[in-house]
Amino acid sequence: MANYICNPKKWYSLSVGLLFLALLAVLPGCGKAGKGGPNEIAVGVVLPITGREAKPGQYQREGIELAIHQINQGGGIFVKELGKKLPVKEVFYDDGSDQAKSAGLVERAMSADNVVAVLGGYSTALGEAESVMPDRYQTPWITTGAGSPAIFGRGYQYIFGTLSPIDLLGYTTADFLGTLVDHGKLKKGLKLALALENTDHGIDYGRGIDKWIQEHPGYFNVVFSEKFDLGSTDFSGLLQKVKNARADILLADAHLQDYITMHRQYIQTGIYHQMISYGARGPESDARKALGDGTNYIFAGIWWSAKLPYPQVQRFNSDYQGFANHPPDSWYPAPAYDAMRALATAIERAGNLNKTAVRDQLRTVELKDSLLPGQVLRFGKNGQINTPFVIVQNKPDAKVDIVYPPDAATGEAIAPKPR
Amino acid sequence: MSAVDLLNLLISALLLAGVYAAMSVGMTIIYGVMKIVNLAHAGFLMFGAYFVYELYELGIDPLVGVLLAFPTFFLVGIGVHWLLVRRIPTSDKPTLTSLLLLFGLWLVLQNLGYLIWGSADRAILTPRIFSVFRIGPISFPAVRLMGFGAAVASVGGLEFILHRTWFGRSVRALMQNSDAGQIVGVNVEKTARIAFGVGIAFAGAAGGLLAMLYSFSPDFGGPFLLRAFVIIVLGGLESFAGVAVGALILAVVETFSILVLPANYQPAIAFSLLVVALLVLPEGVAGLWNQRRRWA
Amino acid sequence: MESTAPLGMTEPGNSAASSRLRFALTVAPFLLLALLAVLPLFDLGPNTIRLLFVTFVWVTVSIAWNILGGFGGQVSFGFAVFYGLGAYATALAINRGVNAFFSLVLAGGVAVLASLLVGVPTFRLKGPHFAIATIGVSEAVRVVMTNLSITGGASGYRIIETGTFHQVKHYFAALALAAVAVAVSAFVRRSRFGLALIAIREDEEAASDLGVDPFRTKLLAHALAALLTGAAGGVYAQYAAYIHPQGVFSFNVGVAILLMPIIGGIGTVWGPVIGGVVYGLIHEELIASFPQLHLLIYGSLLILIVLFEPGGVVGLLDKSYRALTRTRRVSGSHP
Repeated sequence: MANYICNPKKWYSLSVGLLFLALLAVLPGCGKAGKGGPNEIAVGVVLPITGREAKPGQYQREGIELAIHQINQGGGIFVKELGKKLPVKEVFYDDGSDQAKSAGLVERAMSADNVVAVLGGYSTALGEAESVMPDRYQTPWITTGAGSPAIFGRGYQYIFGTLSPIDLLGYTTADFLGTLVDHGKLKKGLKLALALENTDHGIDYGRGIDKWIQEHPGYFNVVFSEKFDLGSTDFSGLLQKVKNARADILLADAHLQDYITMHRQYIQTGIYHQMISYGARGPESDARKALGDGTNYIFAGIWWSAKLPYPQVQRFNSDYQGFANHPPDSWYPAPAYDAMRALATAIERAGNLNKTAVRDQLRTVELKDSLLPGQVLRFGKNGQINTPFVIVQNKPDAKVDIVYPPDAATGEAIAPKPR
Repeated sequence: MSAVDLLNLLISALLLAGVYAAMSVGMTIIYGVMKIVNLAHAGFLMFGAYFVYELYELGIDPLVGVLLAFPTFFLVGIGVHWLLVRRIPTSDKPTLTSLLLLFGLWLVLQNLGYLIWGSADRAILTPRIFSVFRIGPISFPAVRLMGFGAAVASVGGLEFILHRTWFGRSVRALMQNSDAGQIVGVNVEKTARIAFGVGIAFAGAAGGLLAMLYSFSPDFGGPFLLRAFVIIVLGGLESFAGVAVGALILAVVETFSILVLPANYQPAIAFSLLVVALLVLPEGVAGLWNQRRRWA
Repeated sequence: MESTAPLGMTEPGNSAASSRLRFALTVAPFLLLALLAVLPLFDLGPNTIRLLFVTFVWVTVSIAWNILGGFGGQVSFGFAVFYGLGAYATALAINRGVNAFFSLVLAGGVAVLASLLVGVPTFRLKGPHFAIATIGVSEAVRVVMTNLSITGGASGYRIIETGTFHQVKHYFAALALAAVAVAVSAFVRRSRFGLALIAIREDEEAASDLGVDPFRTKLLAHALAALLTGAAGGVYAQYAAYIHPQGVFSFNVGVAILLMPIIGGIGTVWGPVIGGVVYGLIHEELIASFPQLHLLIYGSLLILIVLFEPGGVVGLLDKSYRALTRTRRVSGSHP
């Protein structure tokens, strides 16, 4: 590398000059001029469409955009104070699955872009980082992809979430297995192996399972429980330990990429478990493409399924197919779609675009035709909803059936898994 | 743990060593000949994976794809050398300039990958991916056997070229002292260019092989890159057999460490081994071996 | 050679003009500082303040890296370790009631300790071996911190915020830190210590023959750089109120810290500042509009700089300045 010992002054002056110019050039450009104009309602959307969480982020974006599209087709949201309907304008930012960027972009949307609210935060880490901003800028924030109750337990006043808490997911999973025992499909006293992602998601999931097991003694024993790092390329060490544990049921909790990698190596290792689950992952089309028949009989606890027998769900499926040119993948679009609808309802009820007024309305809004299980969306005291989960199971020929709860079931649960 | 489990673990480690060796050969060639730390190796692994993937989407068997990757990436390597690498000074010791140049190239390759393929994970799905050979209670996943075979073939093939061909002799001359090599008539630039091309060819082919084992996205390659460097440092540069030794050490330590460490600390093994290797064994295991011979 | 002579110093009859220029050049940075200090008074909006805040943090780490990497020639990919440790130390301290300023001091201290732990074994290595070793250390620390439960592990760590958020407070903290960093860098540059570092960069053996202790000098530079970087991490943590090991310890952060001074002008005082500004302002705008394109840009910049202009932006400016003034001097006109 060249060195510049001789005469500092020349570049010195030019550098300082350049800095001046850079500042002068940039400052008028950023700052005041927000993206929201006077004749529209700006809604910020910060989701990852690149990076690790790109696929789920993309689907959630599509859910939000479908809702906005439908709202705007009807002319927009009626704002009583202005006496007219205003269309919704989406201000979208891709945070690249990076939480520093995510927080910065949410802050940018809230401070410079004149948005009424921000939707976003796919995955708990991004959600945690973003959740610092809403109270600072007194702008409501609805997370469509972060389900950890920890976010909602900090006393923030402007945060909401349309994802049920993950420990309920773990609890429901264990409850499902319990019903299988009650129906004689599985024996009592089976051994569980838990392989949990080293995040809040994994920890909450494990906690939910433990809670159910404590409340129902005699059903299951946890013989192995370990955490693994997100984004590993090689799970053979972990899987070898799982193999050594000689458990009957494997309950893993992973994000999409790790699910695919781990399950592929699982199959290559040739282990067998009577039941296997990857937490909230299972029916994703990417996994089906990558692993083919290897995904058969995997079950998952998810926040929503396109197979739910509600009329609004059938309508949503066909609308979504027409809008995005592919069917809704797993559960991702639904909480996002409903979050936008809940926001629209709250804005309408507030009668104006005052962010605190909208926040107040969000606290009491109730969507009676929600897509989510139970059909009612209502934010809890801490801002998070509490809708029940459904358990789905992959069946051969790329079919997926809802197997729990019984009143929403579209097919029989197959347990134990055929060898 | 039973003897069968232990044996399975050992086999698993051996097969993993094969994969690691196959993946490191490319970087070793370039480092050995030109003393360049090719950080773009990760980028070429990634492109190799996508290359085989795209051919697979067109209906070509992944193994054939891996073989086709060789000539393709050889040409790419020659091109990269001509365009970029020949413009920087190289010496008998690795330079920071070359490190940074190839690091920049890696960033560019990553971004090209994003632009062309997006950030979605891809994977290659063939029945072979799931076939497992079993001898008694011991299982050999087919794809890993292929990786092992590829490693043996590469290391063996390169050893042959190195010791039995004229080109190999020039390469060895350059590895020892490029100035002296020039004096005895080795065309440094041409040899370096071909060596670089061969290194990239192996990187691309290895990437294709890895595509059959793992799912990949444009930032694929980073963890492999560091492991490749651990292997090079551990194995030393006396010969490509050093790669085999280094890969074996790394794979065995990684695989057996899970018995004592929780799984979530496993990534730290490779990195720690790297630092230890750089500090304690800068000449690699082969260096220790040579020293023993000298004392004998 | 005429082109390397300082402006005006060898030309007769220009002493008045040249001393005026010299005065202007010395005063310019202080003017800049004053301007930045009063900037918040103009109603520029929280987003601009945020952008500037981020820029100041980046400028600080960029300058810090340059002390070891630019002046000293030791290219480290592992500065994310100090950034992250500083962030965590600050967060832990604030949650236990330590005031903001002392938590930054603590952050710096922790980072200095870490720099010694890292430096003592690795400074025996030279050049690329050292660089690769720092990658290994950085990643190993990241994995460990992701699994350490005292600091929240993979869930990240949150600073419990009390009272209202005053963005301007953080702005000034970052500005002050950046100003201190520039001052430190300029001071090092003109000191014997700086000369020793440059000597080590050029030829370590020769420097050692001249009486410089390379090992100690490198350790000291490393510690100084870590101090600034750790403090910057602390300033960032106080603003973001939530830190996560995959964020602050990521390899990308280490890469960014390295790219900035190289792009701006490695081995100079103001080069890293330019690099930090480029990264902070432009990068932020890029992320908002064209995410993922930045790798292409930085990679290409790095390649171009390595191949054609190792002095970075500063080098380019210097060359163009010389080209401009050469014609003026040749034509005989007074500057």
